[in-house]
Amino acid sequence: MHIAEGFLPPLHAAVWTAVALPFVIAGARRANRLMQDQPQTKLLLAASGAFAFVLSALKLPSVTGSCSHATGAGLGAILFGPSVMALLGTIVLLFQALLLAHGGLTTLGANVFSMAIVGPWVAYGLLRGTQRLHAPLAVSVFLAAMLGDMATYAVTAGQLALAFPDPASGVAGSFIKFIGIFAPTQLPLAVIEGLLTVVIVNLLQQYSQNELRELQAFPQWSAVEIRS
Amino acid sequence: MQAIDHHAWTNRWRNRHPVEKLLPALTLLALTLALPPLTIGPLVLAATLLATVRGAGIPLKTVLSVLAAPAAFLLAGAPFLAISVRFHDGFSVQFSPDGLRLAVDTMVRALAATSCLTALILTTPLTDLVPLLRRVGVPTGIVELILLIYRLIFVFAERALTGRQAQAARLGYSSVPRGIRSAGWLAGALFQRALERAQRLELGLTARGYAGELRVLPSECALSWSRLALSMTLVGLIGLTSSLLARGLA
Repeated sequence: MHIAEGFLPPLHAAVWTAVALPFVIAGARRANRLMQDQPQTKLLLAASGAFAFVLSALKLPSVTGSCSHATGAGLGAILFGPSVMALLGTIVLLFQALLLAHGGLTTLGANVFSMAIVGPWVAYGLLRGTQRLHAPLAVSVFLAAMLGDMATYAVTAGQLALAFPDPASGVAGSFIKFIGIFAPTQLPLAVIEGLLTVVIVNLLQQYSQNELRELQAFPQWSAVEIRS
Repeated sequence: MQAIDHHAWTNRWRNRHPVEKLLPALTLLALTLALPPLTIGPLVLAATLLATVRGAGIPLKTVLSVLAAPAAFLLAGAPFLAISVRFHDGFSVQFSPDGLRLAVDTMVRALAATSCLTALILTTPLTDLVPLLRRVGVPTGIVELILLIYRLIFVFAERALTGRQAQAARLGYSSVPRGIRSAGWLAGALFQRALERAQRLELGLTARGYAGELRVLPSECALSWSRLALSMTLVGLIGLTSSLLARGLA
């Protein structure tokens, strides 16, 4: 759910950029250190980033008939961990603005915060939490991807509500209004993305054990691998 | 994606220094956000259209089709700003005049801002813009990473498209559950290929003495201060006209 270029008033655009920046800088520092320690990490990260972009451009089969896209936030958080995902997500969003005119430069901060920070962190937290409760991996992955997706939409609705409070019922009323607009299209989409992520993780577990071990550069994966 | 990238590489302004295009576009974007939308919006739209079509020689049809997608989203989303909901004594929805003004303002502002963005991306390839990030303190490693991602995107996109066609030809998307499974397999296969590709790249580069730095020959083009000054003056004039107009109308 991208907020279009220029849609947010200047103050909001600036504040969201300032909020997102520390997370992105932390992710960039971490990635930079990984790349300096092991030069091959750069190629792995590049392939992952390009994959994330192509995944986000992949049209999903949707029940509502509208063309809809995956956010990939859940899968990214599961594969690479949320801190690296903040950097990769930012790069993907920048590319969507510069190659597809989707989203924008002034709203990049707001979009990064909802899609590359909150979504992956929620997904990652849920994955770790449910794994600790010894839930089956498929259930964990489904919940992480679906609720990570929903968290993204809730944050976007919140950002729009703060920028455009309802004249009668204020920010709260506006939040309910935007959530109401998103819900009919985004709820089924979140479920589909959850199922899709389960299919992907199952496939990777069956056929790519070696490659996943390579991802040990991102220690988060070990949480999933140990349990499987 | 292909259309935008194609024009970015082939337009008349391709060989001009990226700063000559980036700086005016960003300034215009900032002005669009800061000044009253109804006076500056149409001016910005006209200026960016003129610059891309007359200046850079990009067909009007292409510019409009790139603008069409964000415009459709705006048309679908902005009207909701004009609707107000109330929650005391039950739930009621009503039209609000303040909201309508806000909706029109927001729509014009967003459209004008998007036109600044499209003017920039249709005239400047990403590989020219990204190295400028180094000037604002982004580490060289991250800039290289971004450029590598850019190059790999087109390789993977082609694979994804081919894979999808193959699946569709085998009725992989004939129902929603089957479609989900097919899309999942496609994404998983794509990820495996991506990792494989990274390994092969690494092997090839190591054989050529790769130690963490990718050396490429950047194309040098001189920054023309006169052109930059001219375009910045035009941008300044647009800002001035619109604030005078706003004062005159108020």
